[in-house]
Amino acid sequence: MRPLTDTETKTLFTKLAHYTGRSLNNLLTDTAPSTTTTPTSQPDRYVFRIQKDRVYYVRESLANLATSIARDSLLSLGTCLGKFTKTGKFRLHITALDVLAPHARYKVWVKANGEMPFLYGGHVVKAHVGRWSEDVPEHQGVVVMSMSDTPLGFGVTARSTGEARRLDPTGIVTFRQADVGEYLREEDTLFTT
Amino acid sequence: MAPTTAKTGSAKGGKGASKRSTKPSTSSSSLKGKKAGSAKPTSKPSQLKTKSASTSTKKKKPPHMRYTEKELKVPQLNGIRPAGVLKPPNAKKGKNFVDDKDSMNAILAMVMAEKEGNIESKMMRARQLEEVREARKLEAEKRAESKKAGFEERKQDIKEHKKKRQVTVGDAVADEARESKFSKMAKKPKKRVSFG
Repeated sequence: MRPLTDTETKTLFTKLAHYTGRSLNNLLTDTAPSTTTTPTSQPDRYVFRIQKDRVYYVRESLANLATSIARDSLLSLGTCLGKFTKTGKFRLHITALDVLAPHARYKVWVKANGEMPFLYGGHVVKAHVGRWSEDVPEHQGVVVMSMSDTPLGFGVTARSTGEARRLDPTGIVTFRQADVGEYLREEDTLFTT
Repeated sequence: MAPTTAKTGSAKGGKGASKRSTKPSTSSSSLKGKKAGSAKPTSKPSQLKTKSASTSTKKKKPPHMRYTEKELKVPQLNGIRPAGVLKPPNAKKGKNFVDDKDSMNAILAMVMAEKEGNIESKMMRARQLEEVREARKLEAEKRAESKKAGFEERKQDIKEHKKKRQVTVGDAVADEARESKFSKMAKKPKKRVSFG
């Protein structure tokens, strides 16, 4: 387990910024709710750590404690954001949704009849869209929400909002990238390294 | 059999217990006493003090020993760095980790600016394309309308023309009939041949 290098940090942030707005800054400034009663101790900030090829968003104190565990034995810690491919690209995992969703720039709300098709791994079609953010460009990362504002996953827009308006009801509006159904579908492989 | 074994066990245990109770107490006390009395409290701090003192003296050399490399009249070595060597020899090897908040913020700001620019340009392009598309659509609509109007006009034209023709043809027939009537009256009676 080690901190990220500068190129890795840039790659990671570029990917995260694809889905989030300016509030991504909060990821760095956020602090864990203090468990200790002593006011003098510094608040615990969050850091990014890479273990094998996976990147974790983890409390600094936890990351420091984890140094006492051998690299081979350390399976996981904190929140897994995704993994670096062999070619140096970064792939976001569904586990990153909790980190992404509060800072999302663009969102697509899916109607109740479209939730299950999406959770089974389907793309979002126009007929299932309840509403969407305005002025979304093409191929932009969006967070998919249910109508009750529960994040269901994330994807990439197939068309810009203007073009999507003219689309027929069966046309794909958002290409799925990850959905919470993966917790069940990919149960065996999601947390193995 | 059983009671004897029990007895022996108990006896052994008792002996063992007594031994344990007596021996360790004496030994430990004696050891402790020796250690405490002789070495520990007095020697350790003194050693520490001497160590710190020695390190401080090691750092501070006497004035005649204080000199730098330049002051030694040593001939200068060839300090030219070969063209192929980019890194200085004492530079950090391996990966450059980013763990402090400031450098992370700097990277994030750079990335965000880039992303914002990208999105902005994408939106601008999308808007321009949309405008062009709208204009083209309007033009096409106008053209279609004009075409339709022309077609309608032509249709109307043809319809009117047909009506006119019908009217003219009908008039001609009526006129002829009328004319024939008058002409019959006016004209000589038809020549008749009778074989009577």
